[in-house]
Amino acid sequence: MDKFVNVGWPEMLLMALFGFLMVFTVLVLLIFVMKAMGWFFTREHKAKVAATATTAHPHDHAISDQELAAAIITALKLYKSALHDQESEMLTINRITRAYSPWNSKIHGLTQLPEKK
Amino acid sequence: MMTLFSDNFIIESLVKFVETSGFMAFFEGEGWKCIVMIALACFLLYLAIKKQFEPLLLLPIAFGMLLTNLPGAEMFHSELFAGGHVHWDIFVDKAGLIDYLYLGVKLGIYPCLIFVGVGAMTDFGPLIANPKSFLLGAAAQLGIFATFLGAYALGFAPNECGSIGIIGGADGPTSIFLTARLAPELLGPIAIAAYSYMALVPVIQPPIMKALTTKSERLIKMSQLRQVSKTEKILFPVIISIVISLLLPSAAPLVGCLMLGNLMKECGVVDRLSKTVQNELMNIVVIFLGISVGATATAASFLNLRTLFILALGIIAFSFGSAGGVLLAKFMNLFAKEGNKINPLIGSAGVSAVPMAARVSQTVGQKENPSNFLLMHAMGPNVAGVVGSAVAAGILLAFLG
Repeated sequence: MDKFVNVGWPEMLLMALFGFLMVFTVLVLLIFVMKAMGWFFTREHKAKVAATATTAHPHDHAISDQELAAAIITALKLYKSALHDQESEMLTINRITRAYSPWNSKIHGLTQLPEKK
Repeated sequence: MMTLFSDNFIIESLVKFVETSGFMAFFEGEGWKCIVMIALACFLLYLAIKKQFEPLLLLPIAFGMLLTNLPGAEMFHSELFAGGHVHWDIFVDKAGLIDYLYLGVKLGIYPCLIFVGVGAMTDFGPLIANPKSFLLGAAAQLGIFATFLGAYALGFAPNECGSIGIIGGADGPTSIFLTARLAPELLGPIAIAAYSYMALVPVIQPPIMKALTTKSERLIKMSQLRQVSKTEKILFPVIISIVISLLLPSAAPLVGCLMLGNLMKECGVVDRLSKTVQNELMNIVVIFLGISVGATATAASFLNLRTLFILALGIIAFSFGSAGGVLLAKFMNLFAKEGNKINPLIGSAGVSAVPMAARVSQTVGQKENPSNFLLMHAMGPNVAGVVGSAVAAGILLAFLG
């Protein structure tokens, strides 16, 4: 490539350095833009939180904290899922009689003896 | 008529048939190189199908490579694109299907269309909630510029160095976009290196992350990210497009397409378009891109020492990029208050490779502490890396294009 004839190590080093710095500069600029946008959109919410923090009871604040609420809900869920049903601890079969059905009736079975009349 | 079907004629025809077959071409001149390339294509197909290494792209790339190296088939005519431009005067007469498909790469259409799809599939919420992630995304571009110098030390021309360096951005479409403009003759090796190493992110990154961090740093729990409103998500792509395109016009095609896709997703009024760019358009473009990029990997352009150098430089680029992000996160922690510390493991996600690199941060973090969830925190630097590598590509294009 003819246009790179005069390019040597000093130019390459400068290009790499400036290139990397330019990436940083552009993205740092974007940080400021995004921070400004974030500030604009969260200022009302922050003001509301600050107002409730000064007026509300500490207990109310704790409950409104989303992270804490999520932690309580998770703990309850884990606790409930770990609970066992109340068991009688009796392994003996309590009920041995079967409900009547003509299908299991001995009277209607094929092996019954002929009636003597 | 009888002489036409004489024994001599039949024998001559058979000899001619055998001589013109592709099999004979394997044993003529440098035909053995085609056998090596076909074997390599089959190996890549194996990696894509059996090992599932980025199969959506590696499979069409490998098949394109297979087709282009079949002697006599003449699926791709590199002479139509010789010297870095399209030779329109002979194009219509000589071009085949793959040549026409390759125009999409050459004219920079496919990478931009893929970026529309990537934008529509990306949630920039974690980045908007924590804009500091942009710094980690910037630091991870260290790999690009370190490799840029490394390539020059190995004797590559400056424009080729830019194309090789961009592998460190871990962003396939950006690598193809820049290489098609700066060094089109290196497109095959660079695309294969970029996509292969992207698939190997879970293998390459963890040892670097562990080597550069202490156990206590890996255990850092980060505070929950704030909720991001829909308005912010809609404004983000518009603002980024304006700011970056004005600062760096050469990055406008990539960043503009990325943000267009994202706006389609976030605005919620063009669901049909959003679904189309995420699925149908993306899939179609991936097929075209894969086949045509694979087709550029001809034996003559691929089997040389330069390809081996590119593969070696690619892994250096990935390693430096990952290290850059981790080291900057550690540096930022020196000034951060207790409770606002950053887990340095999310720094490595600054190389693009969305969302693979973020998943690696999550996995490595959870190995140290199973109750530590870093995924959403890592997504910030991860998507910042996409923006960062597009910006770096724009800068290299402005310097060397």
